[in-house]
Amino acid sequence: MAIGVKVMKRPGAEISYLRATLKGMALTLSHLWRPKVTMQYPEEKSSKDWTLSPRWRGTHRMLTDEQGRAKCVACGLCPQICPANCIKLVPGEDEQGNRYPLIYEIDEFRCVFCGYCQEVCPEEAIHVGVHYENSEYSRDRFVYDLERLCAQTHPVSTLWDPSDPKGE
Amino acid sequence: MGDELLNLTIDGVRVSVPKGTLVIEAAKQAGVLVPHYCYHPGLPVAGLCRMCLVEIEKAPKLQIACATQAAEGMVVRTQSPQAKSGRMGVLELLLINHPLDCPICDQAGECELQDFTFQEGRPATRYSPHYAKRFNPVEDFGPDVLYVPNRCILCTRCVRFMEDVAKEPVLNVSERGDRAYIGIHSEGRLDHPWAGNVVDLCPVGSLLSKDFLHKARAWELDKTASICTGCSQGCNVTLDTRENVIVRVRPRSNLEVNRFFICDHGRMNYRWMNRGDRIEAPLVRRGGELHATDWDEALDFVASRMRGAGGRAVALVSPRVSTEALFFARELFRGLEWSGAFQVVMGEEAPLAGVPNLALRAERAPNASGAELLGYSREYAAAVATAETAAVVLVLDEPDIAVRTAGALIYVGTVLPERARDAQAVLPIANVAEEEGTYVNRDGRVQRYFQAKSAPGMARPAWWVFSELVTALSGGPGGHVGTAAEAFDRLAASVEAFRGLSYAQLGFGGAPTPVATVVPA
Repeated sequence: MAIGVKVMKRPGAEISYLRATLKGMALTLSHLWRPKVTMQYPEEKSSKDWTLSPRWRGTHRMLTDEQGRAKCVACGLCPQICPANCIKLVPGEDEQGNRYPLIYEIDEFRCVFCGYCQEVCPEEAIHVGVHYENSEYSRDRFVYDLERLCAQTHPVSTLWDPSDPKGE
Repeated sequence: MGDELLNLTIDGVRVSVPKGTLVIEAAKQAGVLVPHYCYHPGLPVAGLCRMCLVEIEKAPKLQIACATQAAEGMVVRTQSPQAKSGRMGVLELLLINHPLDCPICDQAGECELQDFTFQEGRPATRYSPHYAKRFNPVEDFGPDVLYVPNRCILCTRCVRFMEDVAKEPVLNVSERGDRAYIGIHSEGRLDHPWAGNVVDLCPVGSLLSKDFLHKARAWELDKTASICTGCSQGCNVTLDTRENVIVRVRPRSNLEVNRFFICDHGRMNYRWMNRGDRIEAPLVRRGGELHATDWDEALDFVASRMRGAGGRAVALVSPRVSTEALFFARELFRGLEWSGAFQVVMGEEAPLAGVPNLALRAERAPNASGAELLGYSREYAAAVATAETAAVVLVLDEPDIAVRTAGALIYVGTVLPERARDAQAVLPIANVAEEEGTYVNRDGRVQRYFQAKSAPGMARPAWWVFSELVTALSGGPGGHVGTAAEAFDRLAASVEAFRGLSYAQLGFGGAPTPVATVVPA
């Protein structure tokens, strides 16, 4: 038994797509005279309407003292607090007999960018950075050693300040 | 003293203590740890840090719990507002010149100043941030001890240890008032064989071990109860392990053996436990060469060699292996004409003058008594001579074997010495840090040690290896032995000297063997 198909009868204005097409074109054309919001990303990295938040937590940076040495004293608090277990630290001594990290490595692939390392650091040495461009040609380049962490130049995060929760 | 008990109330808890007990010790019975720095149960009372202030009813002022003896009907309040504010004041004064260098201090995490400040100190300092703290440079006190005077709170535990326990008074308190520091005799060195204890006694990070300096943080360490293998005294120790590597040995208190101390020889005697060149798989001789194999084949191989052997058997054992291993090694030769011997490395004896019957013994063998109780003799040279003509020679973890034999040589050990390459079979075993077991010290006290790290590769506890062999040889009466507890219970059931002891009952403190006779010191 064949199934009967009911064909609806609609007015001609509704069947024609011309009207809807023109409506869409008019909207598209109207955008030509509106203000531009697109940023030309690789050339342009911030605009007056948009910048990266100073509280952004990106790849790490180790701050250095006047002699260019890492401020880290290898106290072991950051590997302890790290929820992703991405910091490797072997403490030792420098030439002056001060406590100093022999090995300090952060695996940025494992890192969850929580910023606890910066928060816990008593020497204000390790910081998460206001930085997001991290492409590399090989995976092992994502384990940052002490030399590389010290060589980073991007600004460091201010983190969230409980006394100023809105960042004002 | 002794029988007469006094009743007193501490923080509302009624306790009964013998006459002469100090309030601070009575408080421990009530479950209260009164904060203290200068007091230590192993040292004479000084009463100078004033940290253990408590309120005692009917006393006009706060009293120090460490120098006040308990009295009948005494009512002590350790947590009253008055006592707490007194202790808070003491802490504030102790912290005036204490540097804020916890991040680089080795004591951080096990520091009593940190603990008690966190517990009941002032939340913030009232001193100006511009106040220049007292500064003195770090001093080198001895072979293993550094003194950081800035961190010192002058509790004088180190001074009293050297003077009253070691009886070599090289330390004192020099200068007075806020210039005071711990001074060392101008021609003296802190090189007493027991001097390392001042590092453990120091409640802060002022006296540091050079060996442990910057090696690990306190919170990274896994602590395991063990027995020192340095000599036949059998001091109780704690092995501190970090990532499967033993980094430190500290004394574990046992009033019957070593009280609160260990000697520096024992303290430094741990590096061999971390050796990397270990045997990791059983080796059997096939076609003139040793081949790595699995345990099933290795045990079958050794059992078949032993089954076929008629004649004399010799066991050359190390006095550093567990009593259980020595027992099952002996069981292996049941029914054979058998002799077993061990050799003891001798060193210099170094007593701790202030503690009776405590010394670094000349016999550097932790289980010589256990071996003797199980019938092994000290006639090592004679046994080596007998081994030349014996049918089976078992060498148990004795790396410098000088044995030549016509029979089957079976080497069971942790590392593979050159001479053992002639063996028919080589079986890998765990060392003292990697297994559970017991030692018998020179006074006949059976003490347990616990597993601190994992054994490399296929290495197994020696008692397991021998018990499997015994089962394979005898067709298995009693069945397999799975735990050190079962191994010990088998030993206790069949050896007269251990009759009546159970593994659980030994606990952390050990127990004397029923036949124990105190060897005169």
